[in-house]
Amino acid sequence: MLHIRDLYFNYPNQVSVLKSIDLNLDTGNIYGLFGKNGEGKTTLIKVITGLLYPKSGECRFDNIPTSQRYPSVLQEVFLVPEDFELPAVSVNTFATMNSKFYPNFSQEHFDSLLKEFNINPLKTIPTLSFGQKKKVLIAFGIAVNTSLLLMDEPTNGLDIPSKSQFRKVMAASVDKGQCIVISTHQVRDLHSLINHVIILDDARVVLNQSLQRISEVLWFGRASGQDKNEIVHSEGAFGGKTIVKRGEKDESEMDLELLFNGVLQERQTINQLLEHA
Amino acid sequence: MNQSFNITRVFLFIKRDLLLLRGTITSSLAVAAILIFLFSIFNMIWDKQLTSEEFVGIFTLVFIPMGLLFSFALFREFSSPKTNHLYLALPVSTSERLLSKWITATLLYIVTISIIALAVGFIALLVGGILFGANLDPLALFSSSYWSIVGVYLFIQPIFMVGAMTFAKNRLVKTLLALGLLTLGFIVFHLILFGLLNGGFDVMPKNGMASVSFIGADFSTVGRWFYGLLFGPFMLVVAYFKMKEKEV
Repeated sequence: MLHIRDLYFNYPNQVSVLKSIDLNLDTGNIYGLFGKNGEGKTTLIKVITGLLYPKSGECRFDNIPTSQRYPSVLQEVFLVPEDFELPAVSVNTFATMNSKFYPNFSQEHFDSLLKEFNINPLKTIPTLSFGQKKKVLIAFGIAVNTSLLLMDEPTNGLDIPSKSQFRKVMAASVDKGQCIVISTHQVRDLHSLINHVIILDDARVVLNQSLQRISEVLWFGRASGQDKNEIVHSEGAFGGKTIVKRGEKDESEMDLELLFNGVLQERQTINQLLEHA
Repeated sequence: MNQSFNITRVFLFIKRDLLLLRGTITSSLAVAAILIFLFSIFNMIWDKQLTSEEFVGIFTLVFIPMGLLFSFALFREFSSPKTNHLYLALPVSTSERLLSKWITATLLYIVTISIIALAVGFIALLVGGILFGANLDPLALFSSSYWSIVGVYLFIQPIFMVGAMTFAKNRLVKTLLALGLLTLGFIVFHLILFGLLNGGFDVMPKNGMASVSFIGADFSTVGRWFYGLLFGPFMLVVAYFKMKEKEV
């Protein structure tokens, strides 16, 4: 569905934010896009949406460059940005004035999501808190039913109960025909949602694997003495969290934070294991 | 599949803009109506009449500045880094966006403010007739000068459209500054051109600046076309590419 080939991007008079990016995003997946602050997650999402133009390489949605911003492509792509401002109208008016451009918008779904988020659709947007405005946008983003839904730091600005609400709503709303990309540096917020991990570091994609594959190859937990030679990455002193080669072990619960740190430090080892094991 | 132009989307986009700016539009039109009414009444105090030229003068005072401010308001969403993500990601093509903005800022604006101005002018005439015994002549509101002013607006509006898209902050001031510098440049250009073309024939004007003479008296057909194209369609083309190349 979305293909990125050898993509480079830099802001004017600055070094490259994205270098040699190759990615394929397919329907039916929820991708977690992780990276440290300033590693290009937001930039990549903006390039995918067509809001920034690649300096070289290409980003195509259904074989059409996203930078062309054709309505046929934009009807299938929705971005929930990290920082935004919504117009000074009621929630209902906001939906009415924008939904006309998205042929698959479901008013019913939007209303049910607002109900789930405890947002009164008659309230005017400026009277809502930032977290509530974010929920309005998330609800709208889900209700437009685009093939590709991009969310940039969706849990930023949400309180703890709202983060749970978000996970619940996302899990319930995910359509098999949709591709969702959630960019965040708060890896813990999303571990139960995603099924594919993309990690950016040093302006490049350093890991692009499904969680299934990672679980097949790696084991997360506290290593025992006999695992000593199988340790790929460890945190803290002896007895701390480790990533080890899974081998014959039972599947462990994925620790995305540990994986993220491991990939940043043992990029080559982890990738070699995932590709060849 | 890649249909880049759909007239329905243009109308939907116009409707969206009007909905978004309804507060601004309502209050601006109210201000315009009050100003036109007051200026018309004040005008009738002295000579007990409101001629078509006087009315068009009052109308121009409100029509052009308000139209330009309205153009800037229309592009507020486009220019703000906090709103342009959602705006640019809307499934509307560049040509549709530009056409809808142009229709709203020119055709809809001209029709709406003209109707309001005529209605308010007529009410002012009635009030003037009652209060000061002013001469009531509704036909005075219709004039050929009106069409000239509308024509001027149609030509200068695209410049302000480009200004609204080019500058992120203090857009109006920067546009006026750029326009001022451009005018200054043209005056110098006129002076040089006039000197080069007429210097040897002893026809340099004795009073006023040569450029004024050049503009006022010797404005050639070529010049008319040059400025007409520069301020009108050419600026719309510039606006199209500004919009197409816009990144967040």
